[in-house]
Amino acid sequence: MPPHARSLSAALFSRSALSLLAATALLPTAWLAAAAAPGPVSWSLRAGDRVVLLGDTVIEREGESGAIETALVAMHPGANLTFRNLGWSGDTVWAESRGVFDAPSAGYARMIDVVRGQKPTVVIVAYGRNESLAGAAGLEPFRKQLDRLCDDLQRPTPAEGDAADAAPRLVLVTPPPLEGVSPLKAAAALARNQTLADYAAAIRTVAAARGTGIVDLFAEVADKLPAGAHLTENGVHLSDAGYGAAAAVFADSCGQPLSGDFASRTTAIRDAVNKKNRLFFHSWRPANETYLFLFRRHEQGNNAIEIPQFDPLVEAAEATVRELARESR
Amino acid sequence: MPSIPYLARRAARHAIAAAILWIAIAPRPASAQRALTDIPTPDPAAELAAMEVAEGYEVNLFAADPAIRKPLQINFDPSGRMWVSSSSVYPQLKPGEVPDDTVTILDDTDGDGGADVWQVFASGLHMPTAVLPGDGGCYVANATEMLHLADTDGDGRADTRRTILSGFGTEDTHHLIHTFRWGPDARLYFNQSIYIHSHVETPHGIHRLNGGGMWRFRPATLDLAVFARGWVNPWGHAIDPWGRSLVTDGAGGEGINLGFPGAAYFTAVGTPRILHGMNPGSPKLCGLEILSGAHLPDDAQGTLVTHDFRANRVCRYRLTESGSGLKSEKLPDLIRSSRVDFRPIDVKMGPDGALYIADWYNPIIQHGEVDFRDDRRDRTHGRIWRVTAKGRPLVPRVDATTLSDTKLLDRFDTQDGYARDAARRVLVERGIAEVGPELDACVAAALRAAPGTAGYHRGLERRCLELLWLRQGLDDGSNAAIDRALLSRVLTSPDPRARAAACRVVVDWADRLGRPGAGPDGSPGPIDLLAPTVDDDVAAVRLEGVRALAAVGALTETSPADATRAAALALHAVDHPRDDALDYAVWLAARELQAAWIPAVLAGTFDDGGRPGRVMYAIRAAEATQTATWMVDRWQSGVATLTDLDQLIDNIALLGDAEQQALVFAMAIDPATPQVRAATVIGQQVEAFRKRRVVPTGDLSAVQSLLSSAEPSLTAAAIDAAAAWQVEAAADALAKIAGDGDRPLPVRRATILALGSLPGDAARAALCATAADQDSPAEIVAAALSSLVTRSPADAAPLAAAWLSRSPGEGLVHEVLRAFLGARGAADRLAIALQGTALTPATARAALQDVTAAGRPEPGLEAILGSASATGGPRSMTAAQRAELLTLARDGADATRGAAIYAAAQLRCIACHRIDREGGRVGPNLTAIGAASQPDYLLESLLEPAKNVKEGYASVVVLTTDGLVVSGIPVSRSDRELVLRDALDKEIRIRLVDIDEESPGTSLMPAGLVDGLSREQLADLLCYLVSLGRTAAVEEAR
Repeated sequence: MPPHARSLSAALFSRSALSLLAATALLPTAWLAAAAAPGPVSWSLRAGDRVVLLGDTVIEREGESGAIETALVAMHPGANLTFRNLGWSGDTVWAESRGVFDAPSAGYARMIDVVRGQKPTVVIVAYGRNESLAGAAGLEPFRKQLDRLCDDLQRPTPAEGDAADAAPRLVLVTPPPLEGVSPLKAAAALARNQTLADYAAAIRTVAAARGTGIVDLFAEVADKLPAGAHLTENGVHLSDAGYGAAAAVFADSCGQPLSGDFASRTTAIRDAVNKKNRLFFHSWRPANETYLFLFRRHEQGNNAIEIPQFDPLVEAAEATVRELARESR
Repeated sequence: MPSIPYLARRAARHAIAAAILWIAIAPRPASAQRALTDIPTPDPAAELAAMEVAEGYEVNLFAADPAIRKPLQINFDPSGRMWVSSSSVYPQLKPGEVPDDTVTILDDTDGDGGADVWQVFASGLHMPTAVLPGDGGCYVANATEMLHLADTDGDGRADTRRTILSGFGTEDTHHLIHTFRWGPDARLYFNQSIYIHSHVETPHGIHRLNGGGMWRFRPATLDLAVFARGWVNPWGHAIDPWGRSLVTDGAGGEGINLGFPGAAYFTAVGTPRILHGMNPGSPKLCGLEILSGAHLPDDAQGTLVTHDFRANRVCRYRLTESGSGLKSEKLPDLIRSSRVDFRPIDVKMGPDGALYIADWYNPIIQHGEVDFRDDRRDRTHGRIWRVTAKGRPLVPRVDATTLSDTKLLDRFDTQDGYARDAARRVLVERGIAEVGPELDACVAAALRAAPGTAGYHRGLERRCLELLWLRQGLDDGSNAAIDRALLSRVLTSPDPRARAAACRVVVDWADRLGRPGAGPDGSPGPIDLLAPTVDDDVAAVRLEGVRALAAVGALTETSPADATRAAALALHAVDHPRDDALDYAVWLAARELQAAWIPAVLAGTFDDGGRPGRVMYAIRAAEATQTATWMVDRWQSGVATLTDLDQLIDNIALLGDAEQQALVFAMAIDPATPQVRAATVIGQQVEAFRKRRVVPTGDLSAVQSLLSSAEPSLTAAAIDAAAAWQVEAAADALAKIAGDGDRPLPVRRATILALGSLPGDAARAALCATAADQDSPAEIVAAALSSLVTRSPADAAPLAAAWLSRSPGEGLVHEVLRAFLGARGAADRLAIALQGTALTPATARAALQDVTAAGRPEPGLEAILGSASATGGPRSMTAAQRAELLTLARDGADATRGAAIYAAAQLRCIACHRIDREGGRVGPNLTAIGAASQPDYLLESLLEPAKNVKEGYASVVVLTTDGLVVSGIPVSRSDRELVLRDALDKEIRIRLVDIDEESPGTSLMPAGLVDGLSREQLADLLCYLVSLGRTAAVEEAR
């Protein structure tokens, strides 16, 4: 990558550069409006919390990286936390990746059901980057749909009785910025980030209005990168260092900054987290859904009994994670 | 006897030991469990001995288990080593099982034709359906991801694992992304099958593909795009020396398909139009390779090899140039085996000039019919077979990675496809900095030897194309990477195949060829470069030119004016003859660029080159209703010339609004209008009603006058129009035709159907009278009942009950029953009306067949017809009876007698099922059913059709807002309409806006079809089905 490309992209998401951009009126007004809005409520995890991570490729690949979940687990030893990663590549607040054989609207309804089925007490919601491809015209529809998604995630099901207790707490996450790293050209990253800034602002607005927690990856993740490290592998997908930086932003946002040697101290936990997440992936997005659950279930639906057999395996794997977290205290 | 190399001998010993063990511990086979007892021992020597190999060729074992198990894809690297991906996890990961599938590298270091080195390159994979060596390791399909695995320390094992792309669907594990291959453009092409829904995020955006199709991908830039769409299981992809993609389908049936940018085939989602393969009526095929190289004889060069994996055959096809594409003809098989476990699925030319075949080795294929955990599934074996030409020297193996750039560039001239691909791969990976100087010199020399100069020879045309592809492969995104001179040279090549191929390069370089339409410094831009191609003498060049113009026009950086120019040029193709593929290409271009050309047409700035027919074609292709007013102005102002006036009016009839429809209708009923023209115009208006429910304004009663026309096509159109527009005033005229014994029966029946959709008492009364008229021909009564039920089930039910009691013919019973089953609430009314009505058992049985084939339960009718049919419902057989019957079918039945039963009118098998080219398409093609399915499964399907419904043949039941109930197999679905194939093999198009409710149905095959057969007849029928695709005698007789 040519050096100037790196500096351009770095400029875009470092704080000092952001103020520079604002001063040169490059920054859209929505950003400024959001900055003036009441600040979001800080968030924290409590003992026994069941956390669902919901979002796009950033969340799906966190299921392989494990950095964010490891940070949250390790900073709460003995809290018996549960994490379920429901990320899906290319997804949006309309659940556009989750329609399978149906329209996205059916995928959306199914997504809400799946989240509820996990009985979460906390849902971490990370969307916005794919939606931002629609540009300025897509901003308001995105904001509205994100708000609706939050409503739907917090709407108690009739069977759950007491509404106040049943609604999970929400944490909204702004998307990490794009980076002028090969093969993404610096100019393209800059242009995308200018739009993305508006979407990040919209997420902050929703979070502020709802009083939910927020993790501001868009504004903060670059500052957490080790010197010389790239945020992404290819301009868009977080690198290992990028996930480490994201984990640090998560930790900061709930008031427990990570120590410098955190990653090296927690490799065993992270391995256990990843093992658990792989098991969970096979249970919630099993292969052959067509035959197990959908329109060819008359052929192989009998094998659907195998899928719940993953549950105790996932729970055992999660118990290992908790045990390792306790030991690392 | 072909030699068995060391590895194979080892495997054979292993297999024999296993076989002895198996015999010792296997339970005494129950006589009816043919499927179990027929599992062959996995002995490679026995499998080889059972192969019938074409004259002049021989086969030897290259590798087998335990070195490889369940091979899924093979690809050679430029060093000549074979990479194999294998899966024991398929079809489904077990809870607690850690996925540990592998990529293995095989090598024949001593050149004896057998692998003597095998190295597990990577493990821990999850159903790796594809592997492709490249970039210091290999690209692997890993369920939801494409991975790159690399060996950075040179120990032969992967030590880094990167996720390159993610978000691929896994809804069906034999549909996972597969068939990885490099194109000559150094892009990675890969396919996904029909049930896969993929959502892939790259730095350049989101790419979604719901359904089958082919992706085109450049790893270095992560540029990803859908290249072509459709197919069920496009498990074979070969690219000919001119860059043309050839595709086979493991569940299609049209043999060899031609893939070009934007092509859509069978099952493509969201398109109202699809293309067809070159060999309709072919078996399902897997894998594809083009034979080439000095080892193989001349008559093999350029022929295609693919696998009929269900019938255990290796097939061959020959291609010849034809129209805008190619023609394919089937040749005699290369290998046939009597062994059910020989499952050839992939095929590649090797570094020694021999052909290598991956044999998945499994008596059970697929995972729909047979349980995931069925013990008969083989999970441990697999073979690679090597096919050589007898008595011909092998090609000396060359490790391309050791050759100089010059030597590699020279290899572009060889006829050996493997050698060319290997050379190109090495050069691309060496990169522009290293290869650049040598390539520049090579290009300069090729350009100097222009046609007409002393150094020129015909081979330079392909060489120039290869050099152009290499430029494309080495493209680093800089302006310097663009080679205008070479591009122009190939675009104007004397060889049309080179000209066609160069069109795609223009698209890839469009961003750097200057503003589309005008390059920098007066040099031609991409649209200028493509302009001559659309008027080329050769249709294949026109096709690629049209597709390239559409692609350039659709780029985001292309201005509306330039996009309009691209569209205007693409439409030149309308001036020339067009076969189906070329017409599709223009049709698609008109649709893709409509946002540009429609405003230009409306503004009067569109350059049609003085040929208004181009615009008329585009308007129709894009169904551009917004041009209707513009067209009416042209018509009324007299601007339209005689040459395009008819097209113009037809377009208005198809696309106009209600008032514009009235203008057209007035013209049609004008006595001065020729009757044939009037018929065409009204036909378009009926089509407009079907698509958009638009009805001309004003008094339409004049349609009556057309009913009495002497021109049959006009009468027919008028009948349809009267029905569509609900012209109540036409009821009497229609009733008169319906009752006119001098009129042909089809006309009378069409009239009766039209009466069914007319409002008002006159039409209803006419239908009641006809349905009650015992003197009318039975066909007329049946039509009247079918028509009446759609508007008034209460009137129709008692009349139908009375009619059924008179034992009408079986065919008419089916017609009327289907009509009742197709009208909401009518089936229940009929059940009530039939209370106390005496039916003959034959009538009841015929009616019951329709009820069970409705794809949904109708308990009322099932009960009353079941008791009247005297059989008490479809025949059932105990497990012991089934076992006995299976034995009888195997040992004491006759396939020839079975064939006669199959064809008999009583069963009507042929109405729904196709064998070769004969028969309907409602049910699965049975051409090779015996090869694909076990006898016990076939018997069960005959007795209980709803129990196992074949992939792609599950019906849906649609309730329309008009109160109709339609059951059928989905054929296609676009953003506007759903096309179903009903039980009569008729395509029913339903607008999505008319669908009230849609639910999954069951089988469309009637239960109880075989009830009338004796035990022996059923055994004969089963014997015949089992023989299909398996028995040479039966096959040759076809």
